[in-house]
Amino acid sequence: MSLFLQLLFNGLTVGSFYALTALGYTMIYGIIRLINFAHGDLLMVGAFIGWTLLTTVAIQHIPIAAAIAVALLLSMAATGILGLVVDRFAYEPLLRGSRLSILITALGVSLALENGVQLGYGAGFKAYPHLLPSVYLPVGGASLGVTQIGIFALSLALMLGLYLFVHRTAIGTAMRALALDQDAARLMGIDVEGVIRLTFFIGSALAAAAGVMMGLYYSEISFTMGFLLGIRAFTAAVIGGIGNIPGAMVGGMVIGLLEAFTAGYFSSRWSDVAVFGALILMLMFRPRGIFGERVVERM
Amino acid sequence: MRLGAFAKAGILGRGGVALLLIAALVFPLLADNYEISVGTGILTYAVLGLGLNIVVGYAGLLDLGYAAFFAIGAYAAGLLTTKAGFTYWETVPASMLLAGLSGIVVGYPTLRLRSDYLAIVTLGFGEIIRITATNLDYTGGPDGIWGIPHPVFFGYRLSTQRDFFYLVLGLLVLTLYFVRRLAVSRLGRAWLGLREDEDAAEAVGVPALRVKLLAYIMGALWAGLAGGFFATRLGVVNPQSFTYLQSVLILIVVVLGGMGSIPGVILGAAVVVGLPEVLRSIQGWRMLAFSLGLVVLMLARPQGLWPMRGRKVAVPRESPRPARSEIAAPETGYEGPLLEVEGLRCSFGGLVAVDDVGFAVRRGELLSIIGPNGAGKTTVFNAITGVVAPERGAVRLAGVPLIGRAPHAVVEAGLARTFQGIRLFRSLTALDNVLIGMHPRLAVGVVGTLLHAPHVKREEAAAAATGHFWLDFVGLAGKAGHIAGELPYGDQRRLEIARALASRPLLLLLDEPAAGMNPSEKGALMRLVARIRELGTTIILIEHDMNLVMRVSDRVIVLDRGRCIASGPPDAVQADERVIDAYLGRDEAEAEAVEAPLGPA
Repeated sequence: MSLFLQLLFNGLTVGSFYALTALGYTMIYGIIRLINFAHGDLLMVGAFIGWTLLTTVAIQHIPIAAAIAVALLLSMAATGILGLVVDRFAYEPLLRGSRLSILITALGVSLALENGVQLGYGAGFKAYPHLLPSVYLPVGGASLGVTQIGIFALSLALMLGLYLFVHRTAIGTAMRALALDQDAARLMGIDVEGVIRLTFFIGSALAAAAGVMMGLYYSEISFTMGFLLGIRAFTAAVIGGIGNIPGAMVGGMVIGLLEAFTAGYFSSRWSDVAVFGALILMLMFRPRGIFGERVVERM
Repeated sequence: MRLGAFAKAGILGRGGVALLLIAALVFPLLADNYEISVGTGILTYAVLGLGLNIVVGYAGLLDLGYAAFFAIGAYAAGLLTTKAGFTYWETVPASMLLAGLSGIVVGYPTLRLRSDYLAIVTLGFGEIIRITATNLDYTGGPDGIWGIPHPVFFGYRLSTQRDFFYLVLGLLVLTLYFVRRLAVSRLGRAWLGLREDEDAAEAVGVPALRVKLLAYIMGALWAGLAGGFFATRLGVVNPQSFTYLQSVLILIVVVLGGMGSIPGVILGAAVVVGLPEVLRSIQGWRMLAFSLGLVVLMLARPQGLWPMRGRKVAVPRESPRPARSEIAAPETGYEGPLLEVEGLRCSFGGLVAVDDVGFAVRRGELLSIIGPNGAGKTTVFNAITGVVAPERGAVRLAGVPLIGRAPHAVVEAGLARTFQGIRLFRSLTALDNVLIGMHPRLAVGVVGTLLHAPHVKREEAAAAATGHFWLDFVGLAGKAGHIAGELPYGDQRRLEIARALASRPLLLLLDEPAAGMNPSEKGALMRLVARIRELGTTIILIEHDMNLVMRVSDRVIVLDRGRCIASGPPDAVQADERVIDAYLGRDEAEAEAVEAPLGPA
């Protein structure tokens, strides 16, 4: 029982990272039908920006909580802008063209981000400063880290904020309209390109938040951390039902738990097999995901 | 040796191909070992790219786990030589066979999925294969398999860079030879049709699932071939060679070169392998430069460096006159009504679109279905053709039950249709559109295509002649080589009819063929309908143009809110009170409906 609880806590923590990352995938796919392969790498860039801020600037002068908040917010803003720039210059010119050429472009951007960071920071791991208290609460024989609670709570808050934004504001409504019918949305006077850029900004910022939190949680980051994580997060988005925001959150948790339990009861060497196996089974038996996809087929 | 691929591209003639081959043969004699090994890399990626091109370029299925088939070929060769004492040559068919079978394994459960999901599933499959190879002891774990012997060719043991260059050149020529045949075959056209519009392909008789599965198998074969070569060349196979990045690189070869274009894929391989080598001088920056270069190239040439061109179509001087038995609707020997529809009911969610509709059509008759928009007319067509499954009811064509059949099987039974909104294969030529329509009437299979047996050539030539005939029949004689999507609206409508006729249907369903046509085009359409009937083809017509309906129909049935409210000869229906109330309208409205019918919904 204690092992089960421990794996549950670990799974929900890792699941938070996947969920935050899956949101970006699901929003972008929902709107422009692009699997943004660079998304995981934007998370990685966010983690590195956070590292830079925490190790060089913020930490010496201000309290820890404030330093983390500043690093998180600045990293989110900077990565968000980077995502927007990528969209504007690499994807936007190809939006009307073949979907494969834009996909290859996304792969190119992904490779460029990884190699750019490798050049700037080196190929080795970077140690994140130990800022968070190592306090654990005993729960049913397992230990629940205060950090884990914080990550889970902050992720949940961000997701709730996004959900409210998409469903309660005019811009969010425009996003949903665009996902349904881009041409009709344009005719209604929606600035389609602008909304797409905003979507990239928000998705990338959420990924950056996940990246900084991952750095704080695992204490180390590297330029290769984003890609496979991104693929798993996209899997999470598909399992939840692509285009569906609550689906991405739940899908992320499912993937996190699956990974944790496979590692705990079996072997971490097989956790990716479990994740992708689950995806294949899911698509065979419930191809629209747990909550149903929110994507309109274009005929 | 025929390298027709280049010749067909139109830029290089046959002489150019010969020159290229000679250059490739001479190259290892002049180059140093490093250059030869880069050349070997390019040719290996060209083989892989040609295989993936079948899946991605022709069939339009996104595969992000193609390296898995490469791995399977390599591991098969490695295991068979080191553990079972096979020679390299003996492993070649085994590697290809195993890779092909894996194509079925990954393809079968996932083919019903949308193509983007296919991407993620194939990616997952690729990772599963790699992780499994890493974790199993039998495959040597992370270290892989060592000591794979080099091939021995008539007593000569291949060992130098030069030897392997010639070996892979031979494999590439072999690949080109077969891939090229597939590209211009019945199967190749079916792939292109699927890529353009899967639903339309299925609706004109292409068995989509089967044809997609064949794309996976045919694509995987060449990865198996390349994998075996890779293993014997390096003497070692380990999981690090088959990462996700490997799949991505092969995909880049295809998309950067130009999807569906054979010379494009070879050029793509040269760029993907060669560019990082050229950039070697800038050391740490080279992968960054490569990836940025990739982005810039895609932005500059989204269609690829050497895009696929439509096949050049030679329009015959004299229009072909196939025997009547080649074009007329076949005899069935069935005595009863050709089509019998009984108690048909369809609903979507809570909405009942068609309720208890029944009618019969005699052979040779022309029945029109009219009624206001939303009356359920197209739903009746969709239920008959297997596009939607009715809740209740029976449909029989010449006594054969159709309910439960997939759309392509309905076409095989002798039923063809056109669509209310035109659904052509837009980027293919008019002739290819018609030839895809002939898919169910042609017999050549994949083995025949690969072997290029004489009967295959005969069938292809006859099919092309018949295709030209159908184009001529609908009035598109000179436009066989035109791209369908670029034809004027009226021509597109006619082409859709030609595509449907090409399957030699017993029964043709026309869904608002006159929509959007001007009066003279409508006149031509009426004459075309008359000539279709001369072929012995029975027609059901959905149309809003009452003038046209009254002139061409033998009988009319009227649908309103999913129910049949009247049926009979045109005059009687026109005078029916309920029909006037529901659809035709009275007084001024009536005049309007006859003179200026509304367009499609």
